[in-house]
Amino acid sequence: MATALDTVREYTGHEYKYGWVTDIESEVAPKGLDEATIRMISAKKDEPAWLTDWRLEAYRRWLTMEEPRWQKVTYPPIDYQAISYYAAPKQKERPKSLDEIDPEIRKTYDKLGIPIREQEVLAGVAVDYVFDSVSVATTFKNKLKELGVVFCSISEAVQEHPELVRRYLGSVVPQGDNFFAALNSAVFTDGSFVYVPKGVRCPMELSTYFRINAAETGQFERTLIIADSGSYVSYLEGCTAPQRDENQLHAAVVELIALDDAEIKYSTVQNWYPGDAEGRGGIYNFVTKRGACRGRNSKISWTQVETGSAITWKYPSCILQGDNSVGEFYSVAVTNNHQQADTGTKMIHIGKNTRSRIVAKGISAGRSDSTYRGLVRVLKSAEGARNHTQCDSMLIGDRCGAHTVPYIEVRNPTAKCEHEATTSKISDDQLFYCRSRGISEEDAVALVVNGFCREVMDELPMEFAVEARKLLAISLEGSVG
Amino acid sequence: MPTARAVEPVPELLELWATSRAYLPGKGPVPGLRDAAFAAFREVGFPTTRAEAWKYTNVVPWVNRPLRLPPRDVPGTDRITAWFAGGVKARRLIFVNGHLLPELAHVGGLPGGVTVRGLGRLLQEEPDRVADALAELDEPRGLTALNTAFASAGAWIELQDGAALDEPLQLLFLTTATADSVLCNLRNVVRLGRAARLHLIETHVALGDAKPLSNVVSQVRLGEGAELRQDRVEIGAAPAALIERSRTVIAAGGRLCRTVATLGYGLSRHEQGVRIVGAGAEALLNGVFTPTGKEHVDTQIRVEHAAPSCHSNQFYKGVVDGRSHAVFAGKILVERAAQKTDAYQSNNNLLLSDEAEIDSKPELEIYADDVKCSHGATIGELDPAALFYLRSRGLPAALARSLLIFGWAEEVLERMADEATRLQARRAFLARLPGGAVLGEP
Repeated sequence: MATALDTVREYTGHEYKYGWVTDIESEVAPKGLDEATIRMISAKKDEPAWLTDWRLEAYRRWLTMEEPRWQKVTYPPIDYQAISYYAAPKQKERPKSLDEIDPEIRKTYDKLGIPIREQEVLAGVAVDYVFDSVSVATTFKNKLKELGVVFCSISEAVQEHPELVRRYLGSVVPQGDNFFAALNSAVFTDGSFVYVPKGVRCPMELSTYFRINAAETGQFERTLIIADSGSYVSYLEGCTAPQRDENQLHAAVVELIALDDAEIKYSTVQNWYPGDAEGRGGIYNFVTKRGACRGRNSKISWTQVETGSAITWKYPSCILQGDNSVGEFYSVAVTNNHQQADTGTKMIHIGKNTRSRIVAKGISAGRSDSTYRGLVRVLKSAEGARNHTQCDSMLIGDRCGAHTVPYIEVRNPTAKCEHEATTSKISDDQLFYCRSRGISEEDAVALVVNGFCREVMDELPMEFAVEARKLLAISLEGSVG
Repeated sequence: MPTARAVEPVPELLELWATSRAYLPGKGPVPGLRDAAFAAFREVGFPTTRAEAWKYTNVVPWVNRPLRLPPRDVPGTDRITAWFAGGVKARRLIFVNGHLLPELAHVGGLPGGVTVRGLGRLLQEEPDRVADALAELDEPRGLTALNTAFASAGAWIELQDGAALDEPLQLLFLTTATADSVLCNLRNVVRLGRAARLHLIETHVALGDAKPLSNVVSQVRLGEGAELRQDRVEIGAAPAALIERSRTVIAAGGRLCRTVATLGYGLSRHEQGVRIVGAGAEALLNGVFTPTGKEHVDTQIRVEHAAPSCHSNQFYKGVVDGRSHAVFAGKILVERAAQKTDAYQSNNNLLLSDEAEIDSKPELEIYADDVKCSHGATIGELDPAALFYLRSRGLPAALARSLLIFGWAEEVLERMADEATRLQARRAFLARLPGGAVLGEP
């Protein structure tokens, strides 16, 4: 517990910690989006014709689509022509070793507390670093290669494993899935690609660190993870961005595919710049994440800690196709000041004896709004399906809002679905008890909040759990009293 | 103009309006109000499943068809008296096919401060007052606007401050076999003054295999400390459709206790809005829906807490069988000012058939921090252990099932305040269960 208390103290009065800008020469495409921009991105990445066509098809679909408005968030209309769709740190060639990475970029990651080199040596986590639109480094590649695990940027995968990319790209989130996914499919620039071969248990956590740096750009990364039969992989994702007064768009797509007996554990600590206390600036985080449990006994587990972004619009979902497959969703969403979060999950039960578990914790403070929006759908074929959903909201202060919008649709009588939700505040009794034991009010709040989120935090890999606990405390600072 | 979320009415409905508008009751401001309402209806159209509130209910085939205004019909008295409830002293208004039958009304000798009138007469006699009341429910909803345009019958119930009706008041709405393709637009207005008390029974019955559409709108207002108990049963043959929109506003210290049993109707949609505007008020909403065959039941509840220290509880159960489709969408909204709110909701469902579907959407929208709000929803089948227990005591399988299902629903039915209504609901419920008749009179 000491860590939580310390961090509250440590960060009191601090603003967003990752708000600086790296001064680095980048190559930024002119603003605006049309077919030429897409061809340019595709050409820059030296992509095969099928991918260019795939992007163009997505773009044409996107043109016919309407931006979704059903979510409980408000923001001024986005001018999609005022965004630059490609920004890359200038670099002659992809570095062959870590030493060749631009020192400025390395400094950036050092400042973020994730020194590229050190991480590799000490933590034993393989990391892919995505800076603005492109992947700048991937560590531990060789070690993974021995096991046949492919972990690289998606641009590299397109070159080196086109058959895998072509087979699986868009198979979970099709081009026309939704407005932002279509936009991403048209303009995605980079992201991570993971393939774990049959029967391999990936020996280390794979991690991607996303950083938006350039101004007036959008980040559109695409992640594709394939776990072949009997394999296991744990993947971590972290993100930060500089502090700017304008809003920046981040529209990513993540696709997970788990075949027979495979398991994917996907953890996110999302800490994009949330805007200042008056609600100026911040990232619009409009992300489509979906996993398909294609095989029997497969499992996909999403864990997310959402503390950043001005607006979060994100529903990591599981399509439970294989018999006995399992989907899990653990989420903590913290909103403060003027942040808005509309997040949740979808569990689509198709196979027999499929199980899903949802634990969503929302904490709202300041003038923020936090919404859980979820769908549990049991199709006729899902004999013996089982779902348990728990959504708890906590309000800190009387200017914020917490909302729960679950949809439960059941078409099979053998299914059992349970949903429970509560809304509460930090009770005076709890605070009084802590205060009477000599714990300051701020510490007491941190204590209660950490307890409230514990169920989710326990699901995070250790390295992330520490970071997440710190983030939680920072996000809520100044919200009490 | 209607968008993808709405459809244009069929030409027959426009014709119906053109030919009948001159004959609808009401003087003074009423015709203007009707014209405006119909124009609003043309503007919004009928909702499609693209509209969030109608996501699971395709109402278009039920409402957008050639409909006619109902002819008067007086069925045999025994068919009416069978549905009497509330005890021998109960007051009663009877509506058949959307017409009030004044000769069968029993509302004489009411205590002071209590008014019970038919809306049709009142539209002629006090058009200004009625027009004001109708205009209160000014919502951009196609079906509500359609109701305002055509409303010619309904109950007008008014209790002055401190008035009380000790015996229940029953509103009996019947549609008969002659009511095929008729459109019954009923409008009820219930107003309780300060500390007034009323026990209201609403009985909706559809007889025969006619395919009428009852489009009901009710406006209820409870003054400070007023108390309204409301028991409602819907017992209808499969082709009939009943759509009701009700809006209840409760002032400080007011208390609403409503229990609804939906036992039939091909389409039953009940949309209840309850807004609590004064401190210390309470709203209890109980309900059970038991669709079977190809029936479709849709319950939409929205409880708005706009004042502090209030209590609300939604307690809904479903028994979903056959090829039916049940929808429950309940929402609790707690506004900023409504600190110290206690609001609960539960929706538990038994899904009994492979062909049936249940969609539950329990929703919370909270803007105040010092509140206790929770909801729970479950969907499952009968407990095999309980079934086994009953079978081991010698009960045949069908009967054991029926007994368990009955026990499940009874938890709601027993909350009805009026015994006769409770019995009617039980009897209708048991008749729908295989072997239920054996369980007999409970």
